[in-house]
Amino acid sequence: MAERLRKQASHWQRAEPTSVLHIEPEGAEAAMVRFKHRYLLCELVSDDPRCRLSLDDRVLSSLVRDTIARVHGTFGAAACSIGFAVRYLNAYTGIVLLRCRKEFYQLVWSALPFITYLENKGHRYPCFFNTLHVGGTIRTCQKFLIQYNRRQLLILLQNCTNEGEREAIQKSVTRSCLLEEEEESSEEAAEAME
Amino acid sequence: MAQIPQMSNAKERKHAKKMRNQPTNVTLSSGFVADRGVKHHNGGGKPFQAQKQEPHPGTSRQWQTRVNPHSLPDPDVSEQSSSKVMFRKKGGWKAGPEGTSQEIPKYITASTFAQARAAEIRAMLKAVTQKSSNSLVFQTLPRHMRRRAMSHNVKRLPRRLQEIAQKEAEKAVHQKKEHSKNKCHKARRCHMNRTLEFNRRQKKNIWLETHIWHAKRFHMVKKWGYCLGERPTVKSHRACYRAMTNRCLLQDLSYYCCLELKGKEEEILKALSGMCSIDTGLTFAAVHCLSGKRQGSLVLYRANKYPRETLGPVTFIWKSQRTPGDTSESRQLWIWLHPTLKQDILEEIKAVCQCVEPIKSVVCITDPLLTPSQEKSQTELPDEKIGKKRKRKDDRENAQPIKKIIGDGTRDPSLPYSWISPATGIIISDLTMEINRFRLIGPLSHSILIEAIKAASVHTVGEDTEETPHHWWIETCKDPDSVSLHYRQEAVFELLGGITSPAEVPTGTILGLTVGDPRINLPPKKSKALPNPEKCQDNEKVRQLLLEGVPVECTHSFIWNQDICKSVTENKISDQDLNRMRSELLVPGSQLILGPHESKIPILLIQQPGKVTGEDRLGWGSGWDVLLPKGWGMAFWIPFIYRGARVGGLKQSAVHSQYKRSPSVPGDFPDCPAGMLFAEEQAKNLLEKYKRRPPAKRPNYVKLGTLAPFFCPWEQLTQDWELRGQAHEEPSVASSPNDHPRKAEEVMNAGCQEPVGPESITDQEASENHVAATGSQLCVLRSRKLLKQLSAWCGPSSEDSRAARRAPCRAQQGLTREACLSILGHFPRALVWVSLSLLSRGSPEPHTMICIPAKEDFLQLCKDWRYCGPQESKHSDPFKNKILKQKEKKKREKRQKLGHTSSHGLAGEEPVAGQEALTLGLWSGPLPRVTLHCSRTLLGFVTQGDFSMAVGCGEALGFVSLTGLLDMLSSQPAAQRGLVLLRPPASLQYRFARIAIEV
Repeated sequence: MAERLRKQASHWQRAEPTSVLHIEPEGAEAAMVRFKHRYLLCELVSDDPRCRLSLDDRVLSSLVRDTIARVHGTFGAAACSIGFAVRYLNAYTGIVLLRCRKEFYQLVWSALPFITYLENKGHRYPCFFNTLHVGGTIRTCQKFLIQYNRRQLLILLQNCTNEGEREAIQKSVTRSCLLEEEEESSEEAAEAME
Repeated sequence: MAQIPQMSNAKERKHAKKMRNQPTNVTLSSGFVADRGVKHHNGGGKPFQAQKQEPHPGTSRQWQTRVNPHSLPDPDVSEQSSSKVMFRKKGGWKAGPEGTSQEIPKYITASTFAQARAAEIRAMLKAVTQKSSNSLVFQTLPRHMRRRAMSHNVKRLPRRLQEIAQKEAEKAVHQKKEHSKNKCHKARRCHMNRTLEFNRRQKKNIWLETHIWHAKRFHMVKKWGYCLGERPTVKSHRACYRAMTNRCLLQDLSYYCCLELKGKEEEILKALSGMCSIDTGLTFAAVHCLSGKRQGSLVLYRANKYPRETLGPVTFIWKSQRTPGDTSESRQLWIWLHPTLKQDILEEIKAVCQCVEPIKSVVCITDPLLTPSQEKSQTELPDEKIGKKRKRKDDRENAQPIKKIIGDGTRDPSLPYSWISPATGIIISDLTMEINRFRLIGPLSHSILIEAIKAASVHTVGEDTEETPHHWWIETCKDPDSVSLHYRQEAVFELLGGITSPAEVPTGTILGLTVGDPRINLPPKKSKALPNPEKCQDNEKVRQLLLEGVPVECTHSFIWNQDICKSVTENKISDQDLNRMRSELLVPGSQLILGPHESKIPILLIQQPGKVTGEDRLGWGSGWDVLLPKGWGMAFWIPFIYRGARVGGLKQSAVHSQYKRSPSVPGDFPDCPAGMLFAEEQAKNLLEKYKRRPPAKRPNYVKLGTLAPFFCPWEQLTQDWELRGQAHEEPSVASSPNDHPRKAEEVMNAGCQEPVGPESITDQEASENHVAATGSQLCVLRSRKLLKQLSAWCGPSSEDSRAARRAPCRAQQGLTREACLSILGHFPRALVWVSLSLLSRGSPEPHTMICIPAKEDFLQLCKDWRYCGPQESKHSDPFKNKILKQKEKKKREKRQKLGHTSSHGLAGEEPVAGQEALTLGLWSGPLPRVTLHCSRTLLGFVTQGDFSMAVGCGEALGFVSLTGLLDMLSSQPAAQRGLVLLRPPASLQYRFARIAIEV
């Protein structure tokens, strides 16, 4: 029974028009079984490679928080600070996974376009965030990311012009696809070592 | 990440395990985090390591492509250097392409871009495919895709998960126990294999013919070499009692053993006369029994050892004579006994009859059931090997010979079970499991018998006789005398329908019958047989039957004839064939008429007396025993049940004997070897059960003053009483009878303080001759004369109305000192079987102590008739300190052992091992004087006790010391004579009960 109710509730939540900021008091849903989160999978787009390289979870979280405070005021900052975290970031690809409570993810989401600079150690790098995916679990985000990255690689492969490059890309593509077997063996060896 | 150090170690480990496969942040600026990521989380770290190993072809810049052509702002020197340092720390995977230039590249190289993406994909893939939580694969499936059988059958899972699930199943600790599945389920269920399996399983313990039926409905126990139903799985204690009193309770007593004695009448009687005594009642030579009219029951002793060395109770039936008065005729005697007693009694009878020579020829008859099949299959194997369907063919060959084990499956064919005496010509055979014995208890057993059993139809001359296998019946029917006898038996059997209770029929009446197959008129549905009084209007004949019993000639039955029994067993139509014939009937459900092919079964009906002793509820629990040739058990069992009989197990037998106030076999025969063995086993089981509980959750019997909570120390009890009796013998002779008890007490107290005082020694010497004459062994008083006398003395208020009723009893002898002494002279260490009923509350249990009330208890009881009884004061536990000390010692030694070498510890271990026997709450070491341990003098113990549904109060059965009983009776005032106190082993409360000896 509870299961069905929850499903229904989540269904309604998703059906909501995203343009309207609907703010609920926290705890209405948290009382069910668990705290529900939303994960925003974003991509850092910047001209400057150093911008990506200086990416750091502390820098990023403070940046997002500041932006929310600027855009949504003190209330928005407070509402979003509960449960907010940077779950994953990859400085080489510029992928960032942000977590926030489900009730207020739209505040975070709407604040993200207002980030235009990444500031680190006195340097400002112009950049912006491109939200790729909004998911309910890390897992779905990961799945999406795999798909997205594959697509990227394919596009890269199609666009590349010289032979050696093509070869290198193909290699990495195949490596990413049939990782499991070799991974397993090396994994087991590592575990045995531990 | 920052929280991890604050977490407790276990929590951290758990978290680490959960996050093992999760990708971690990949950063450049914060080397610490990344490093840790690499260290802790393989998933995050791996790709980079793998990448590092991969040779980078791109040292040259020629592959670099402008994927994202962007203008580059001026690089800050410090920033760049810091990031550069970080690169080196990371293992410099970027050092390949970047190594040539110190600057931040202007362009993004496609290969690094692709490599970074590929690394991420790998990390993510790993995170997605590997389950992170410790749930089973099965649980990761959404609910609508789960199926019940998935948890144990991997192939029911989606194929993508099968591999992981397989691994999981192998890891599982609680794997299913190995089931010997050399055959598939269908093969195991096939009839032949099942029979083989059943035959194998009953090699160790004998199965009754109703075993499968019982095993489905009863808690089975392995006892006495048999598999027996202990109690029904349904809750039916009260229902079984009601069946006993108002309807009918059915029991399978086929486990009772039958010994057959064949020979001349006087030879048998002469041989057996030493084993029983006329004192205990009727012997083998009782007129009614000897003629074969009645069943007799008695207690056997070792030859010429009465009253000691009991062997156990038996029942016996003589085969009726064809020509009465002819002494030269060979007689047949069946002795029925409990399996625990069989070994002793068989040995003794063999010794008495001088039967030493085993007869081999009889052995071979029962054998061919199994052996030929095996031989046959072995010999035929070689030439069958060529054929493809060898197995099938072989099966078909075997199918014929494999038979169900009927009778004793454990019997070693090499052992003889028949012996002959060359001197007297007596043949003893062990007919165990050759004859089925069903017991019907209760008033409705008549109606059930009459409805279920129909006398066999007499074979008329006109019918064709060729193919029927029942030659013996055809032969019998040719003899007009036999036919008329058969009709008379049938008429007597029909008369039983007019009798309301089996108790009205004379005790132990035997009726022989030849009946048709009871399966043929099986009712389609289970019904209740009810008595039909209108049918039996012949009151005159019924009265005659009740007065005189069944005529002698009607007790004749062909079941006495081994050959006929064998033929009847072998020519039984199988259930399968019978059902097939039934299905082929023209009108479905109509009566099946087999005509001459119908089996004729000789049976014997024996009336079982119910309660014969005492005054109330006489005849309660009476019924009929049905004796059948082996192989026919189920054929009669089901029809009885279909007529409304309820089935009881061993527990119901115990209840039956308890309410009948008769001793149960073998628990209530403490003087026979089987009884002692039973008591030992019971004590062992109870002790084991007691030790399983923690000391705080079990009664401390030392504190409760219970010396022997798990067994009854009969030897000690009788010895103590003997000593006491001797101690006050001398002074009491001089003193007047009035003040004798008190003085006796004083003397006894003195005696108990110095048990080896000079007086007691002289007393012992004085009574030496008694002891020598009777032996020092304990015995149970079974002399009917003495028991009757005791029973008369036990009654309260001898001068009241009871005296008038029991005039003959009172005329016997008064309760005088001389009378007591004369009895005690013969039985210095005797026990008396008594029944006790509680005055008010309380329900006794086995091993409850029977004590003598003190004077003040009677005073209290006189004042307040609702007085419950005195309380025992708590005893001190002298063993507690010892146990504690022992424990401490052990601990110390352990510590020492840990500290020192093992050789040092060995020396200290020995004393501990010697004192290991101490258990908290139990008396250890030899028992002190059992009679005087508590505030009230101990008289005896209860062996069976419970709330009696028949009487409506607590009732107990047990033994008391004869010396003690006489002492108590003589000291008690007449009005309260026969009152005793009962105290259960785990209680301090004494309760009043009235003692009665029922003869």
